[in-house]
Amino acid sequence: MSVPFLLWLVLFKYVPLWGWSIAFQNYKPAKSFGDQTWVGLKQFRFMFSDDRFLIVLRNTLAMSLINFVLGFVTAITLAILLNELRKMAFKRVVQTISYLPHFISWVVAATIIQTVLSADGGIVNEILMGLGFIHEPILWLGEGKYFWGILGVSEVWKNVGWNTIIYLAAMTTIDPAQYEAAEIDGAGRFQRIFHITLPGIRPVVIILIILNLGQILETGFEPQYLLGNGPNLDYSENLEIFILKYGMNLGNYSLSVAAGIFKTVISIVLLFSANYLSKRLGQERLF
Amino acid sequence: MGIMSLALVMGLVGCGNNNTGTNTNENAASPDAGNGGNAAANTQTANEPEAKPEPVTFTYFNATANKDTETNKTEIGKILEEQTGVNFKMEHLVGDLNTKIGTMIASNEYPDILQPDAAIDKVLEAGAFIPLNDLIDKFGPNIKRVYEPYFNLMKAEDGNIYFLPFSAVVGEYKPNPTIDQGAFWVQNRVLKDAGYPKIKTFDEYFNLIKDYAGKHKEDKLTGFMSLTHDWRFFATTNPPNHLAGYPNDGEVQVDMSTMDSKIYAVNDGTKRWLQKLNELNAEGLFDKSSFVDNYDQYLAKITSGKVLGFFDYGWQVNQALQTLKTETLKNGGNDDLEYFPLPVTFDANTKDQYIDPASFVNNRGVGITTSAKDPERIIKFFDNLLTDENQKLVQWGIKGQNYEVDDKGRLFRTQEEIDKLKDNDYKRQVGIGYFEYYWPMYGQGSTFPDGNAVNPGRQPEVAQASFTPAEKERLGKYGVQTYAEMFSKPDERPWYPAWSISLEQGSQAQIYTAKKPDVQRKYFAKIVLGAPDKFDSLWNEYVEEINKLPVADYEKTMTDEVKKKAAKIKGN
Repeated sequence: MSVPFLLWLVLFKYVPLWGWSIAFQNYKPAKSFGDQTWVGLKQFRFMFSDDRFLIVLRNTLAMSLINFVLGFVTAITLAILLNELRKMAFKRVVQTISYLPHFISWVVAATIIQTVLSADGGIVNEILMGLGFIHEPILWLGEGKYFWGILGVSEVWKNVGWNTIIYLAAMTTIDPAQYEAAEIDGAGRFQRIFHITLPGIRPVVIILIILNLGQILETGFEPQYLLGNGPNLDYSENLEIFILKYGMNLGNYSLSVAAGIFKTVISIVLLFSANYLSKRLGQERLF
Repeated sequence: MGIMSLALVMGLVGCGNNNTGTNTNENAASPDAGNGGNAAANTQTANEPEAKPEPVTFTYFNATANKDTETNKTEIGKILEEQTGVNFKMEHLVGDLNTKIGTMIASNEYPDILQPDAAIDKVLEAGAFIPLNDLIDKFGPNIKRVYEPYFNLMKAEDGNIYFLPFSAVVGEYKPNPTIDQGAFWVQNRVLKDAGYPKIKTFDEYFNLIKDYAGKHKEDKLTGFMSLTHDWRFFATTNPPNHLAGYPNDGEVQVDMSTMDSKIYAVNDGTKRWLQKLNELNAEGLFDKSSFVDNYDQYLAKITSGKVLGFFDYGWQVNQALQTLKTETLKNGGNDDLEYFPLPVTFDANTKDQYIDPASFVNNRGVGITTSAKDPERIIKFFDNLLTDENQKLVQWGIKGQNYEVDDKGRLFRTQEEIDKLKDNDYKRQVGIGYFEYYWPMYGQGSTFPDGNAVNPGRQPEVAQASFTPAEKERLGKYGVQTYAEMFSKPDERPWYPAWSISLEQGSQAQIYTAKKPDVQRKYFAKIVLGAPDKFDSLWNEYVEEINKLPVADYEKTMTDEVKKKAAKIKGN
């Protein structure tokens, strides 16, 4: 039974690894494998010696971490709040509204964000000015230091509702008898959350953390590309954009592959260490 | 050197005259205007009655966006099919150019003919185009007539011609009567308020804007703004080059006599330009959002009527300017809010060079691929397309329906025809929308032997007919009839445009062009939006950053390539 799956795995997951050889060549399309020139580690050397690459790596890591932490905290918080709601109708409305932005494409979302943050009558500046916090509009997207924050908030706005679904599902598996017993023993609402709900979803949270750590270098491409501009370049450019600029746009496919290999290696290291750590601490693990 | 460029000019003019000569002769031989001049050249291919070729359909992929169609579903395509029996199934780009072309290369399957746009280097490198030399020799008398002066430039390193570019000038060169290239634009009301002064210099231009904004403080006007979005950033980096009296050669200013190419990114002109923007910003007249707005937001601001001035290329803001004009024409919008192009320079005695000289862009073109079934038929179709008659057909449309001829033989369009052709769907239906570009063609600015412009937009009669009475009156105040007359005539620059020179992959020069915009993006915003007292320190920081890049490699490569291109066009 498992033979077709095994074939699929080999064909689509292992055979393409052959393409990694491109990273060690000066790859030219439409030339046969034998005609390619081999350059060893040249692409990697270019990458690591480029000062732009370090900035890009920093941005990628920073944005990932922000998304990682914010994503977990907000999704779990919202899931708990929703779980505590007794009015089903209200709960449904909140859930629907919070996960709708997930279905908007980033192109549209970026335009909404740009409009909201605009210095010419954008609502954020209007409100802040109305409240007297600032005296003239701030160019939110025009200052690098705000970029990570804006991106974090945008990601939360876009994905929080969607991310809560899995936690809400996990919470439904908790035996209601536990809540009743706790209530009889005199546990308050917060005590019930801390002693029943949170421990109840712990296995799910840990597995998700391990899985997501493996993708920490995948910050996505669209929001950074669409919201990025000259003034915030030093904070918005991530690995993907770097690859696009110096790899694809210059026709240097080898560099793109080299960067891809680098990402994969980092991801594997992170995944294994998280799994190992989890095992050592006697918690759930992936494998 | 001066003598050499003079010789070159003569050479070009000579070619032009020769062409005109032969064509006139042909016309004289068969004065019947309907099936005129080309009949002679064309007899073997299209009009020969006994060997009417089998109808055939080829595929054509055009890497620009348009609606897909078959050419014989358009009126022009139908006529061409009657002449040659050839029909094309046209496919256009949806999505990403490099992905699409990359897929073709990877699969080694191509359409019969291909216009790969910016990805042409990759297609050439993959060896996807077949050499055309022999085909042109055998079947392309018209191709020869049009492209021969440029054969040297079209030849690849191996001496073969792989594709036909779109910019071979035939006949006398005529610049565009409306401004589709760079200019400093200013709102009509600003000129009107100041009594239509002659604006020549940089300082005069900005003082004009400052005066007007000062008089209308309560209107919250934006004095000046700039386009910085994505690859269109050059609209903010190029002005110092134009202000110094150079045409748009890209990143470099090329010395007319020595052909030495120097970057201007860190020269005094750029400093002066940024200083002015910084000064405007400090006075609250510069639109800060310029550095974060995207292209759509930028166009929206132009149409909002709140912006007094900006620098840009006509083709880039055409959409917004047309919207304003349509508004004025249809809904009695405000003519005051439309824009007027000015050829501004740093100093009064600098000759402006905003208008492109006759140029040959050889990094775009259409070629026959290795997958093509019948290259011979295709080259014959191309050749047939390059007769005077057919050029008239594809550029002007159908006589009596899209254009008229007056008793002096001048081509013109009635108001009704002009209005109708503003509708892109109609344009496609006629086929102008499919044939006016991306086929072997007489380049922009070419003229027919009878003196008419090949491109209708360049026929002064057509340009003037599209002007409103208010526009004509305003132009009258400056003593001119078209906008182009406000600008100086272009000097001959054989290498022009230097930006079309393609750089070797992975070379230091190419890395310079990839990194330079990032440095500029970052520092231009800092410098312009910063406090005026920090200007000098930020400027020095910026110069230092640029100088870390391989500037010398880039300048050397450009100088060599410019010289090579100029030498090629001279036929050495």
